[in-house]
Amino acid sequence: MMPHLALDSLVLAALLAPGLLLSLLAGFAAVGKPLGERAVARFTAATMLVAMTATVGALVMYLAGHEPHIISFGRWFTWGDGSIAFDFLIDGRSLVFAAVTVLICGVVAAFSNRYLHREAGYNRYFVFFAAFVLGMLLVILAASMEVLFAGWELLGLSSALLVGFFHERRAPVVNAMHVFTVYRVSDAAMLGAAVLLHHWIGSGSLAFLFSQATASTVMLSTVQATVIALLLGVAVAGKSALLPFSGWLPRAMEGPTPSSAVYYGALSIHAGCFLLLRAGPLLEQAPLARVAIALAGAATALYAAFVARVQTDIKSALSYAALTQVGLIVVEIALGLYTLAFIHMLGHASYRLLQFLSAPNLLHDLHEIENAVGLAPAAGRGAHVHARPSAHGRTLYLLALERGFLDSLLDRLVITPGLAVVRSLDRMDRLLCGKLSSALSSRRDTGRIHVDD
Amino acid sequence: MIEVQSWLAGLAALPVLVVAASYSNLHVERLRVVATMASALMTVIAALALVTPELQGFRWPAGTATTSFWRASWLRVDAFSAALHVIPPGLWLLAVAVTPKLRLDRTGLRRTALATLTTTAAFLTENPLVLVVLWILSLAIFRAALGAPEHRHARRVVTAYLAAATALFGAGLGLLALSNGSGRLQYLGLALLVLAVLIRKGIFPFHAWIPEVFEGGRLGPAILFCAPQLGSYTAVVLIVPHAAADTLRLVSLLALVTAVYGAALALVQKDPRRSCGYLFVSQSALVMAGLDCTSREALAGSLVLWLSSSLAFAVLTRCVLVLEARRGRLDLNRFHGGYARMPMLAATFLLTGLACTGFPGTLGFVGEEMLLNGAVGTYPVLGFLVVIAGALTGMAILRMYFSLFCGSPPPGTVQRLLRREALTFAAVALVLVGTGLAPGPVVATRLVAGEAVMAQRAVAQASSSRGTGGPSTEP
Repeated sequence: MMPHLALDSLVLAALLAPGLLLSLLAGFAAVGKPLGERAVARFTAATMLVAMTATVGALVMYLAGHEPHIISFGRWFTWGDGSIAFDFLIDGRSLVFAAVTVLICGVVAAFSNRYLHREAGYNRYFVFFAAFVLGMLLVILAASMEVLFAGWELLGLSSALLVGFFHERRAPVVNAMHVFTVYRVSDAAMLGAAVLLHHWIGSGSLAFLFSQATASTVMLSTVQATVIALLLGVAVAGKSALLPFSGWLPRAMEGPTPSSAVYYGALSIHAGCFLLLRAGPLLEQAPLARVAIALAGAATALYAAFVARVQTDIKSALSYAALTQVGLIVVEIALGLYTLAFIHMLGHASYRLLQFLSAPNLLHDLHEIENAVGLAPAAGRGAHVHARPSAHGRTLYLLALERGFLDSLLDRLVITPGLAVVRSLDRMDRLLCGKLSSALSSRRDTGRIHVDD
Repeated sequence: MIEVQSWLAGLAALPVLVVAASYSNLHVERLRVVATMASALMTVIAALALVTPELQGFRWPAGTATTSFWRASWLRVDAFSAALHVIPPGLWLLAVAVTPKLRLDRTGLRRTALATLTTTAAFLTENPLVLVVLWILSLAIFRAALGAPEHRHARRVVTAYLAAATALFGAGLGLLALSNGSGRLQYLGLALLVLAVLIRKGIFPFHAWIPEVFEGGRLGPAILFCAPQLGSYTAVVLIVPHAAADTLRLVSLLALVTAVYGAALALVQKDPRRSCGYLFVSQSALVMAGLDCTSREALAGSLVLWLSSSLAFAVLTRCVLVLEARRGRLDLNRFHGGYARMPMLAATFLLTGLACTGFPGTLGFVGEEMLLNGAVGTYPVLGFLVVIAGALTGMAILRMYFSLFCGSPPPGTVQRLLRREALTFAAVALVLVGTGLAPGPVVATRLVAGEAVMAQRAVAQASSSRGTGGPSTEP
């Protein structure tokens, strides 16, 4: 008799539910017969209910007396000594966060059903949403780097596609590309960490890193632990919009409000924090990385608090407010205050979700008041406004309004020079082919050639 | 029980049948139906080699082996080649099923059948003389497809590069024949073979012809010519068993650099065809990166990537062609709104693109993961080039996706996907996701193939180092 059979079955059910939803919605769409709104809503509600019951049930069972353990649902594939395993880590933190995640996703699914009623991309939204729920659960429960990476990639892709949800317009698509670019940097760092882990300890198991500090001490040297922790730090910075990657956050607000709420208010933005929390034992082995992560968190909190003051649209203001808290959570984790950080994360996710979801109503109500009274409600002026040094007020305001010029700095220092180098290589390739073609021809080619297949 | 002779006859007869039918009075649309059925049947027959072990191990003439350079088999089916036979008919099926009606012509259908036959024959042989003849034949067929005046620029570039590659191949074989199995001539001969393969594969700095022919030539024939990766096959059969470890390492390093180079240049292109060309340069370089035989898992990963990238890349490029057939030439600096009327095409493009980037759940992930583990094991720092290439490829793919499928479609045109196109894309998507979610059988066959390649190399190197000059390159 397996000691955790019932608990493990519930976890499996929780993972399968969004997977099934994704397969159903994408499958019908792929054969050219997308499901109607009612069917999508029912399937989504049913699967979210199953996932919710399963995660809450698993949590209750765990609290009733189970020990932390790893569930293995077999090997994805194997080669010689190596293999990719479907391993999931079951402990208090992962089950609590999974339950909160599914609960939040259930609420957002119900909200989205009404919010996106008769929207052209209704079906597409729920396909991405199902991918997000599955990705989030994989990240939370993963006990191997590859499962973690799979979830991480699903989060990134679904996030970028939802930012570009209103893809008839140019701005959302351009912003989605920007978000995806940062996510790819984050994914590359994550993959690098996974590969190094395989290389150094011969396994992609996260149990070494995330559960047993003593085990990781035995397996990894301080330098190795620092390298992996720093790569994880970059991955987390990309996904959670920490400095210097914070520029994508306001751009991500182009997506529908429910997706902004669940990604950048409640869950996705905390996925990196949760990963850091799980990697606590590894961070303890890598003091240098710990300091770097703490500094990144603190700088992000200060930056976001500064920028949030002057945001003129409610979603951007909320997203920077969320980022302030995320920065603080990262600092707490780097300081080793794991329980505080975990509670902070759960509370913040729930609170910010409520703010994001009620934002459209708030705006609507304010407009009603404005229409009724004939004047805009007076804006409050906080103490900090009076406390600022007046001589620098305009400069600071401009700096905050331009979000610290972070995007333009990255653009000027990294992207533009990089693209210029690549374009010059392209020109060289073209030049070489042009010369070759001319050499083989009695007359020079002029202009580009229009061709068909 | 399947007889090898019957299996071979089945493989050869179907393209020959289509070539013969192309000379009849059959209407071109009916000829397409015949070609589609023939290619589908050929794909099934080719796949039989994977699931029928008795088909593997066939050699003709009997007693020949890869370890003997000049006495290698004229025809053979083994663990390594069994899976490759699916590629040419698969690409043929894709070509005939999704070629737009307006672009369909009798000569084109004949040429696709001939190209398939040539590539299949090449995958059946390990004899250098037969292989060089098939190289020339495949080049001639491809060049014939670029016969129109508007393709002259691409034709000249292709001719310059690939004629040089073929000449180097021939010269290399000549030097090896003169070397009597040892000395500087042998070294030089192998070096020329390596150069020939690098050019044919489009490895940096010999890559420029690929994006050029994708952009200025005909995309359909370019896919049929490039996607099976005959250069990789030649490398495995002729170079890997006999070349020095340092040579293989150099090729592998060049391939890793090419993977990043191609992905980076794909990111800045204005023309989706050229972008596809650079993506192919990057993808096919990843296949070469693991062929240095220093790691069993990297080698198997390369062989998995070979299957995945050939299929995924071909479909990705076909998606561009299908969209072009409805919209004319496309520009990546604009939005084309392809999703609105062809969501399935958009989904197929995204899926195959993700397979190219090694997204989890696709076969590309499996190959890239194995390659990455092996590459990092061998070159701890340079192995990360695979990671960078993957990241850049992802950006290039999503940029293309956003440009081609987002935005508003031009008004007033009916541009839905045809049934035959939809069915073909759905089948390919199913194969990519199915093999990605359950990659066990594919990985197992590629591991066996990788072991066979490494064993051949071990035997060839041992016989070479016995000092007899070895039978390895003895004419």
